[in-house]
Amino acid sequence: MAGTPRKILHADCDCFYAAVEMRDNPALRDVPIAVGGGVDQRGVIATCNYPARAFGVRSAMPTARALRLCPDLVLVRGDFERYREVSRQIQAIFHELTPLVEPLSLDEAFLDVSDVEHFQGSATWMAHWLKAEALKRTGITISVGVAPSKFLAKIASDWEKPDGLTVITPDEVDAFITALPVNCLHGVGPATAAKLEAMGIATCEDLRTWPIETLLERFGKFGKRLFELARGIDEREVRTHRERKSISVETTFHHDLPDLAACQDALLPLIERLAGRIERHGQPPLDKLFIKVRFSDFTLTSLECPSATPSPALFQRLLEQAWSRAAQPVRLLGVGVRLVSADARRQLSLFESDA
Amino acid sequence: MKFSISREALLRPLALVAGVVERRQTLPVLSNVLIQVQDTQVALTGTDLEVELIGRTAPTQVDEPGSATVPARKLMDICKSLPEQSEIQFVLEDGRAVLRSGRSRFTLSTLPVAEFPNIEDGQGSVELSLPRGTLKHLIDSTSFAMAQQDVRYYLNGMLLELRSNLVRTVSTDGHRLAVCSRPADIDVEPAQKLIVPRKGVLELSRLLDDSDEPVSLTLGSTHVRAHTGEFTFTSKLVDGKFPDYERVVPRNGDKVFIADRAELRQVLSRTSILSNEKYRGVRLHLEEGNLRVMANNPEQEEAEENVAIEYSGPALEIGFNVGYLIDVLGVLDEERVQMTLADPNSSALMEEPGGGDAMYVVMPMRL
Repeated sequence: MAGTPRKILHADCDCFYAAVEMRDNPALRDVPIAVGGGVDQRGVIATCNYPARAFGVRSAMPTARALRLCPDLVLVRGDFERYREVSRQIQAIFHELTPLVEPLSLDEAFLDVSDVEHFQGSATWMAHWLKAEALKRTGITISVGVAPSKFLAKIASDWEKPDGLTVITPDEVDAFITALPVNCLHGVGPATAAKLEAMGIATCEDLRTWPIETLLERFGKFGKRLFELARGIDEREVRTHRERKSISVETTFHHDLPDLAACQDALLPLIERLAGRIERHGQPPLDKLFIKVRFSDFTLTSLECPSATPSPALFQRLLEQAWSRAAQPVRLLGVGVRLVSADARRQLSLFESDA
Repeated sequence: MKFSISREALLRPLALVAGVVERRQTLPVLSNVLIQVQDTQVALTGTDLEVELIGRTAPTQVDEPGSATVPARKLMDICKSLPEQSEIQFVLEDGRAVLRSGRSRFTLSTLPVAEFPNIEDGQGSVELSLPRGTLKHLIDSTSFAMAQQDVRYYLNGMLLELRSNLVRTVSTDGHRLAVCSRPADIDVEPAQKLIVPRKGVLELSRLLDDSDEPVSLTLGSTHVRAHTGEFTFTSKLVDGKFPDYERVVPRNGDKVFIADRAELRQVLSRTSILSNEKYRGVRLHLEEGNLRVMANNPEQEEAEENVAIEYSGPALEIGFNVGYLIDVLGVLDEERVQMTLADPNSSALMEEPGGGDAMYVVMPMRL
């Protein structure tokens, strides 16, 4: 690798919304709690605490299912104003360390500390300091991953969660990646994982034995990314000025969905995952909904419509229209929302009911 | 069907009727204009199922009455490009429309007349008549503030309010609102409030002139119809509740200034060149006798202008979408404009000094 290795931190609050609720109401500390929408609105879990996770409750899970797994689950309606405030305090700590902060959501950020001279330039000490300051100032624990690249820092922060601190030094990168299961790589979902498994690939070491030509042939442009990640190559920079323009989820199915009815069935879980993801981003105001359909012949179509809420009925209507353009089996479905930009939000509205 | 008509007699009604025809249609016949020929009259109809416009004109000669539908835009482009004062002959031959003029000949496809949809209008309940100039003034003073493809579908149109001795139009896109009222010699009890869809409003305005000649309106529960001599315009109404304009007209403004309208408009237009192209924010610094207008864009380029105003009061700094201010200054017609402000987060009121028949409310932008 050329030049001096970078030092990237990935800081991730532990079950953030739930942690804020537990901090503000100690009675909730040792009981299973979750922040999310109610069953009556087909809500999903945005976050849950560790007692709830012991029951198998996970974020993006429909609340109805979470309550079946854990009947005593205390459901808290999210207070995003309060979460945003805590998030601001934590982001402020990040910025005391370095201006190179890339927030990913309210509770997660990358920091490039390569040029920070404090703590004698030790990223490990900086990580300790971040954790201590966040706990002292906000009462929230964060897990931090330290690595020479973004993708490894993110994997590292998850390694010893909660309250974790995992450091992958440049010397350790190779050994770490060798043993890394491929489904830990960002972008490897169930469909890709199954395909990799069929090729006999379980770890990055297995992945490295395949030439780039074969990976490109089987995975398209993601093949190049797989080839690089398996070798620890991830040159993406920490980008401080990034405005999120959309939030979306998509799935490639193990088997193509044969008809519209099958697509309609597959759409609901996607919409629920999307709702969870929108909540994780602090319920930003929405501008449009969109749908993405890739057919079995790999043709892609997408369609959008204006809406301020991720209405399942609207998504179903978009799906019908988009599907009828080709009326073929479907290999991939995606749903998403386009956000009202920060600039557009500066314009005030005449009617109070507006966002 | 066989008739001849002068280019000029055909062109004006055809241009207006073709304006209703949408470029992209799901139903092929909607790209066509319906031509109906009687003994002394040619009627042209265009529709998009929401708005229908019939224009009538006089042929030079009718050899055989009849009807046909032909592609609207092509017909209009042909007529437009023929020399002035051309005489055009229409003949329907074997299901195709043949146009001859001088040494030119055009053969256009047709679609069956029976496929051409008729806009269904319920029974009209209220009939009244207004001077065309009054209705045109009301529409042209407010239509710019209508929303476009807003999810709040009822904002994609104009509120037309008719009550005894008064007619009023209101439009708003949620960021700014325009309202204009004029006295009228009408007797409507109870008051009628209709939302005319955006496209219908724009087409209706094109039919009207500044004259005192009457336009008669028929108000139904689902449709409105307007008649002038040569045109019959029908539009579906938007079913919805329009926001109450009185609730958003600010009453708490205590900082009132008066500026030269044309000068302020030029200042804002120049400043806007260096505002963010999409959101077009400008800052106004109001101080005694002077208004400073400033803009900058993501490239960090900056514009600053100063304009003399009549004002004595505390200073205020407030941001606006410059386009909203320019729109208002473009429709007001007094030499001077009055603007009333309260604070950086409250709406501004713009009107003629002392108040005219129109009021404009504009919400600020956060700086």
